[in-house]
Amino acid sequence: MVRLNIKGMSSREVNARLRELMGTEAEIVIEHPDSVHNLGAALKGQGRIVVEGSTGFYTGGFLEGPTMVIKGNTGWYTGDNMTAGEIIVEMNTGSNAAPSMIGGTVVIKGSTGSRTGFGMKGGDLIICGDAGRWTGGMTLGGRIIILGRVGQGLGESMYKGIIHTADPQVEEKIGGNVIVKPIDRREKEEVAGLLARYGLQAGVENLASVLPNPSGRHQYHLFKPTHKKAG
Amino acid sequence: MRAMGEPAKKEDKDKAPRPKDVQRGVWSAETIAEIRHKAFYGKHRIRGCGSVRSYPSFDDLIILPAMLTRMSIDTYREDCKTQTVLGHRFAKKPLVIETPIMISGMSYGALSKEAKTALAKATDIVGTSINNGEGGLLPEERANSYKQVVQILPSRMAFSLRSIEAADALELAAGIGAKPGLAGHLMGSKITKEIAEMRQLPVGIDLHSHPRHSDIFGADDLVLKIQELRDVTDYQIPIFFKFAAGRVKEDVKIAVKAGVDGVVIDGSQGGTGAAPVIASEHLGIPTLPALVQATQALEEMGLKDEVSLIVSGGITNGADVAKALALGADAVALGTGVMVAMGCAVCLRCHEGRCAFGIGTQDPELRSRLDIDQAARKVANYITAMTAEAVMLAKAAGKTQLKSMEREDLRSLSLTACAMTGIPLAGSNYTFGEMFGFC
Repeated sequence: MVRLNIKGMSSREVNARLRELMGTEAEIVIEHPDSVHNLGAALKGQGRIVVEGSTGFYTGGFLEGPTMVIKGNTGWYTGDNMTAGEIIVEMNTGSNAAPSMIGGTVVIKGSTGSRTGFGMKGGDLIICGDAGRWTGGMTLGGRIIILGRVGQGLGESMYKGIIHTADPQVEEKIGGNVIVKPIDRREKEEVAGLLARYGLQAGVENLASVLPNPSGRHQYHLFKPTHKKAG
Repeated sequence: MRAMGEPAKKEDKDKAPRPKDVQRGVWSAETIAEIRHKAFYGKHRIRGCGSVRSYPSFDDLIILPAMLTRMSIDTYREDCKTQTVLGHRFAKKPLVIETPIMISGMSYGALSKEAKTALAKATDIVGTSINNGEGGLLPEERANSYKQVVQILPSRMAFSLRSIEAADALELAAGIGAKPGLAGHLMGSKITKEIAEMRQLPVGIDLHSHPRHSDIFGADDLVLKIQELRDVTDYQIPIFFKFAAGRVKEDVKIAVKAGVDGVVIDGSQGGTGAAPVIASEHLGIPTLPALVQATQALEEMGLKDEVSLIVSGGITNGADVAKALALGADAVALGTGVMVAMGCAVCLRCHEGRCAFGIGTQDPELRSRLDIDQAARKVANYITAMTAEAVMLAKAAGKTQLKSMEREDLRSLSLTACAMTGIPLAGSNYTFGEMFGFC
């Protein structure tokens, strides 16, 4: 294990240093992150990076292998386009977490903002708290688990993938072109196993599943009159 | 001629215009067809190829030949350099191509595998670049291309770190001229099993992509996103930003301040595989004024020599290339033009996926009609001929390198072009003055 004080360093300097250390160190503890942006961009390998504090935007973007544990909060776009590895955020994240994520796992132990997992293509995204509007919009794959409540427009125009949520009002909150169904036994087992892997204590009995419309055809209405017909 | 009072003969009646032959102003056959479509389906019409409007274009400009004020260069015996370097602002390895003519982003999905492969092969023959477009980088494209630009689009379909590693340049795309403010449309007829697997889509679905990047929500984020991409690429390759022409001056300044190496402006003549007709015809400004505004933006920032400027939309021949360079472009990008070189007849039906030439289709039988090597040769010939045309005109204007073309080499043929470009009207040295932004 090595400790790395990054106070005053640019993201370019930090990432270059991390790439060097990843070859020799199993664990790197980052001190004074000071909300640095782009931390861990395209890092590869099997090491573990522990950040003692909060990070800025694009934390773990294009990550491919390592585990990143952020003890504080992260900014927007955490885990964007990541391929493999883990990002565990002990507190909250800004909006648009895990956009276009391809693989690996993102665990947000607090809450997150809007558009979480937008365009996600694979991997697992776990939100222990609440998630804002348009979570899981236009996903192409992967699994999103929200143990708290969600905002409106959940799963809007999903193509593939699955969302599980404990929000009891899920039926009223789903977006267009998706359906809600009770979680099935296989899904329960998989979710329970995933939560256990991260030491998360949560029941899976009351989760609902949100899936793409089985017809595979998306319908859009650009004009939505709301008036009462005179006749 | 019939005398007064003489009854009309049958042949005279036949000569009188029939009601259906009378020009009916706004009620053209196209307008009537549009209304009937909407009346039947209750929705807008989709069409391929983009706008069919007649816009002010490079044809509204003329190049001044060198006579006594300067000497012309021998067309056949003296050199005029065409090699073009793009993206040298921050990138350690800028994009170096042998002609300022690039192939613009067209997706595997909109185009067949055979067409994409042929275009890639053509770039290797002439020494230029191809851009993969939406929906992933086809291995056959990368294997055959001379220089590969990888587009980063909002959908991120089939995009990954591997795509970046395969790129000679990256292009963050915010929009195209054929449907600015909208995103990709790929009709279900083209979402075959192979395309669906690559893009992770259900087979046969009509795809309507999202127009905003889910990881770039505004200019401040773009700054950080570009820094992230620099970290990922170690500053090796250029990063361009492409957008449809709208508020060009402001958009260029924002992108440049965000740290790009170059901007790509797609005017409203730009093509597409499918777009709502109403969007193609009524959104965005034409290539000519867009280019002028982009150049002005870079000049105002004092970065004209640092930031590369690439323009696309309606470029068809070497004169367009020479004039675009004179107006400030460093390179042009072709889409529809190279498709025509392969055999496309611009039938406007790309969205149906039944392209008889095997270009804009995924039908195996139709695809088999396109001879890859022959199509590659035609595209290479077309780019070669266009480059030669541009060279010919540049030499006649007294230039020993294409990039030396300048505004002073041009005159406008129309008041509109004069007002839009600030290029003096032919036969005069006058423009419309400062109210249009020119002195």
